[in-house]
Amino acid sequence: MKKQNVRTLSLILCMFSYLLVGAAVFDALESETESSRRRILELKRTEMKKKYRLSEDDYRQIEQVVLQAEPHHAGRQWKFAGSFYFAITVITTIGYGHAAPGTDAGKVFCMFYAVLGIPLTLVMFQSLGERMNTFVRYLLWRAKQCLGLRRTEVSMENMVSVGFLSCIGTLCVGAAAFSHYEGWTFFHAYYYCFITLTTIGFGDFVALQKKEDLQEKTPYVAFSFMYILVGLTVIGAFLNLVVLRFLTMNTEDERRDAQERASIKRERGLLTMGKHSHPLTFTRCCGVTA
Amino acid sequence: MKRQNVRTLALIICTFIYLLVGAAVFDALESKKETTQKKKVYDRKQELRNKYNLTKLNFDELEEVVLQLKPHKAGLQWKFAGSFYFAITVITTIGYGHAAPSTDGGKVFCMLYALLGIPLTLVMFQSLGERINTLVRYLLHRLKNCLGMRRTEVSMVNMVAIGFISCMSTLCMGALSFSHFEGWSFFHAYYYCFITLTTIGFGDYVALQKDQALQTNPKYVAFCFMYILTGLTVIGAFLNLVVLRFMTMNAEDEKRDAEQRALLSQNGQAGGHNHPGCAPDPPSSSSAASGCSGGAGGTGGPGGGGNGGVGGAGRGLRNVYAEVLHFQSMCSCLWYKSREKLQYSIPMIIPRDLSTSDTYMEQGEAFSSDALHPLHSNGCVYSMHQPHSVISSVSTGLHSLTPYRLGHSKRRSSI
Repeated sequence: MKKQNVRTLSLILCMFSYLLVGAAVFDALESETESSRRRILELKRTEMKKKYRLSEDDYRQIEQVVLQAEPHHAGRQWKFAGSFYFAITVITTIGYGHAAPGTDAGKVFCMFYAVLGIPLTLVMFQSLGERMNTFVRYLLWRAKQCLGLRRTEVSMENMVSVGFLSCIGTLCVGAAAFSHYEGWTFFHAYYYCFITLTTIGFGDFVALQKKEDLQEKTPYVAFSFMYILVGLTVIGAFLNLVVLRFLTMNTEDERRDAQERASIKRERGLLTMGKHSHPLTFTRCCGVTA
Repeated sequence: MKRQNVRTLALIICTFIYLLVGAAVFDALESKKETTQKKKVYDRKQELRNKYNLTKLNFDELEEVVLQLKPHKAGLQWKFAGSFYFAITVITTIGYGHAAPSTDGGKVFCMLYALLGIPLTLVMFQSLGERINTLVRYLLHRLKNCLGMRRTEVSMVNMVAIGFISCMSTLCMGALSFSHFEGWSFFHAYYYCFITLTTIGFGDYVALQKDQALQTNPKYVAFCFMYILTGLTVIGAFLNLVVLRFMTMNAEDEKRDAEQRALLSQNGQAGGHNHPGCAPDPPSSSSAASGCSGGAGGTGGPGGGGNGGVGGAGRGLRNVYAEVLHFQSMCSCLWYKSREKLQYSIPMIIPRDLSTSDTYMEQGEAFSSDALHPLHSNGCVYSMHQPHSVISSVSTGLHSLTPYRLGHSKRRSSI
């Protein structure tokens, strides 16, 4: 079978196995806690219903209101600062969900906004990431020269290490900052930064949600936005360095196959015709490295 | 300034402007409703408090319990089916948040899981998407053959149109199913599918949360999982077709620049005058977009920063245009050839449309130099394929070559 097909099939199998393994581990880690917590909460609920003499219906009414009120706890979400925050979560595909368009018009605009914004953002981050990698490569080369090293070329390992260290550094800086401003533990803040910068964006931890932070603490708001965008650039640079080449593997194999088919055909044709081709250009065009 | 830097700066500015515009529009659309809804909710709260004789403290207590029970309302989230659902949302980066690890061990494992899973998934979807595109291209080609059409090459426009239609139908199909099974309106189900398949994943709408579906309705659960994964593949195939080339633009330019520099130093040519000089104003026949520069034709992708072009001189729009044309004429990309159209003895003009035909540009008298500036030395570059690089360029070392006389440089008119 063609290399591309083998590769694709094995990737599919890999992913499915990965999902199965992940599901099993998450089940093992979380199921128990979930069941026990649920039991405790349900007991508490029954207790409260008795205490305040609420029927099931009454409770449902209260529940409904409480759930509706939840997003409003964090202050105004749709003033300019909040909308900017939301726009960031859309085009970077983080998508916390702490605020989601309530109006139908908002939903429609959100979809159109994403259709154009997501490719723009993808290309922008890759572009900027590549520039950063080039710059880092240059700096590293100069550093090696200054240090008088014998071999001044910057190897892939160098770049990958620097990239990895930058990612960890970015996550730690964010963790320190958010644990301070949001009152989370360092671990929870690190988890928040990780989930944000990988664009997963669960929404279990969301910055700028303490009462009216979005409206009042403007420097912190600016810091959060800059952190998300810069952090995504650092991660994007690392992805550009390490992962992007794999995304084009199949396409390049296809191209190479087509070239080979073409050059074989050309060879055959030129053997029979042998008039118009310049020997030098012939070898040139067939000089395709595998 | 180097083209890559210009492009990157332009993209950054574009993105910021896009964010500002978006923020303003969302503000205008949502702010008012938010205010009125907030007031309504708080009034209702007050009303209920009075009705049931609850103090603020009592109500807060109740509120806390309700909010804590919220994730449990939808049933068990961490049994195998729920965990599988969660694992999908992690490695595809959808991240609804309907369930999030509450134990610290779960959080740690989640991070490690994502670290390996996300690149794996990215590569997998792009790989599969490329296979699908190739299959579609082949099917379309056969179809055109069967229909007895004159030109059987599959153009980029064809591919983009089909890709777009597949995306729309995937979304509509999902919208129909979910509106039926989840009881949402068609529009809300469509919105859900869109937010899911773009991996934004707000979590305002989440499937499999009604009536303990995760535990009791395995067929529907399987359908949901398959829908998400196939939908992401379809979207991934479209992205592979349209967006991926833009993500490698800077790297390819860098590579080309490096090779040009290597050439210059190798040949000891005085100045690089022939490289920019290799950017004549070729005839407009070379207006067919090269695959490497990202093509035109309804990609709808980011236009900022300019699409492709060769050489390093950002001397102005006219020069950029000239360079783009030059690049297309000397394109170091590979062009697929349609087997029927191979006529290497006849110099061919680069096709205007974006068909997948290989054109050979041979040394031939047909390409007279009146439209082109002849090169005076061997500065011209043309391509040689290297692994993992889309464009690379190597000097031919031949004298007095116009770009069109480079010999067999193959060009790809479409991906």
